[in-house]
Amino acid sequence: MIERYQFLLREFHKETSKELQIFSIIAQSFFQPFSLIDNLLVILTALTAGPGVGFNRAMLFLASGDKLRGEFWLGPGSAEEAASIWRVLSTPGIGYLEIIAHNKSFLTSDADNLTKRIKRISYSLNEANPQIPALAAVSREIILVRDSWHESLVEPHFMETIGADEFVCIPLLAEQEVLGEIILDNAITRLPIKDRDIELASICGLIAGNYIYTSNLQRRLVDMKRSAAMGEMAMFVTHQLRNPIVTVGGFADQLLDPKLPEAKKKRNIQIIRNEIREMERILLRLGQFLRVQVKEQVPIDVKALFRLVTEAVSSKVADRAVTIKTEVADGLSTISGDPLHVGEALRNLVDNAIDAMDSKGEIRLSARRDTEDWAVISVQDEGPGIPSSVKGKIFEAFVSTKQQGMGLGLPYVKRVVDACGGRIEVESEEGKGTTFRLYFKAKPREREIAK
Amino acid sequence: MRKKILLVEDEKNLCLLYKEELKEAGYNVTAVLDAESALQRIKKQTFDLIITDIRMPGKNGIDLITQVMALRKDVPIIINTAYQSYKHDFMTWAADAYVVKSSSMAELKAKIKELIG
Repeated sequence: MIERYQFLLREFHKETSKELQIFSIIAQSFFQPFSLIDNLLVILTALTAGPGVGFNRAMLFLASGDKLRGEFWLGPGSAEEAASIWRVLSTPGIGYLEIIAHNKSFLTSDADNLTKRIKRISYSLNEANPQIPALAAVSREIILVRDSWHESLVEPHFMETIGADEFVCIPLLAEQEVLGEIILDNAITRLPIKDRDIELASICGLIAGNYIYTSNLQRRLVDMKRSAAMGEMAMFVTHQLRNPIVTVGGFADQLLDPKLPEAKKKRNIQIIRNEIREMERILLRLGQFLRVQVKEQVPIDVKALFRLVTEAVSSKVADRAVTIKTEVADGLSTISGDPLHVGEALRNLVDNAIDAMDSKGEIRLSARRDTEDWAVISVQDEGPGIPSSVKGKIFEAFVSTKQQGMGLGLPYVKRVVDACGGRIEVESEEGKGTTFRLYFKAKPREREIAK
Repeated sequence: MRKKILLVEDEKNLCLLYKEELKEAGYNVTAVLDAESALQRIKKQTFDLIITDIRMPGKNGIDLITQVMALRKDVPIIINTAYQSYKHDFMTWAADAYVVKSSSMAELKAKIKELIG
């Protein structure tokens, strides 16, 4: 016999312990693509939601550089507010998800007076004798403050801000880093903070620290990828443009010489003109690649599409013994996509196929229905195949086996297919040839109406 | 007698430009568009200096340098390329100089002068 259980508790019953409730709420946030601040909000909500469960109020400070900066402060602003909030929360049917949603919208509203009070404050993490709250972060210790008005270690302005007799500071830590701090109090109910509450809060602090740490890592990774791609592109453009620029510069210098014969002057101007055209071509292709935006998808007639593509490459085919055979299977008339980009993408593939075959061979451009909703267009050549050294990265920008290649053709094709909601596959064997398969959505076949 | 330079540059216009400029500077220049033709020339006659690009169709400049060194160890080689980043690549150490292409040919001419006068 087996029994099935839900992963997440949506509502709790009387016996569900406070700890289980808190961790269940936090676990729910793992299941949703929340932002960092949203995840931290969930943790702080779990620690403060409802009377008798956890704390009354929670403050969040995040480390930024060598400072702790106030981020938000969750909780009722007064006893009256607390009473009305807690009344609402005890309404049947109001669960934690509603509380989280409420807190989220409240934090960005004008009514959130608590957050306003800490949003502009910051504490240095570099001071020789740090005071509370910075002290907990700097010493990496949990600090409980009792009788706070008489405690000289509490920074006076912070004391005025929090105004609670008793509060606990939980530093948010990663291995070597201080990432932030949570400060919790019971300013409304004035219940004493128990050891058990602190233990619970410390575990929540560890989870929050982990959230911040992984989110920082992720952000750094994205930044690194972005700057690596930028660097690669800058290097590539530099190289692509350097040859024509040097040529233009060199021939222009010659033009400056008054003794240069008339015939050479003309020749130089012609060369300069051609090189500038080449630079324009480079920029055009780069721009085309960077700007793939499929605005609207329409049904594309496959036969007409193939006709356009073969026409576009006809002059290139004319000087070689290469034939292009097109074939559209019965039962497929249109695919869904952006006609301009899909046509350009196919032309790119056929162009590559012609280049690959050098002097002679056959290119097969075919389309058929793959499943009821999907069509597949194949471009097959009899060329030498993709060298194994570049096989894994043919769709990466700036990878090319062609001498004058910019390495933007296949990445462009992939971007187009992706943007149309389709996918691309490649099959290639050295010495035998390459087949690209492009999958596009197709209108389901019209069923025969029974007579 | 004029010093003989073999120039390997796959960009046609650029090749023409270098050829004219180096002739103007007093050298006897043989210009070819790829490494294979360069090798054939080297087998047939002696040059005082070889100037080569790195990225070229077919055989690249590094392969060319390796083969030239097997044939004639003593001929000085200048790499003249659009790539700045290869400069510290150990594969290019076999050459005697590394020049990044520039429309002012001062650096290239200076290196040539330094190597063969």
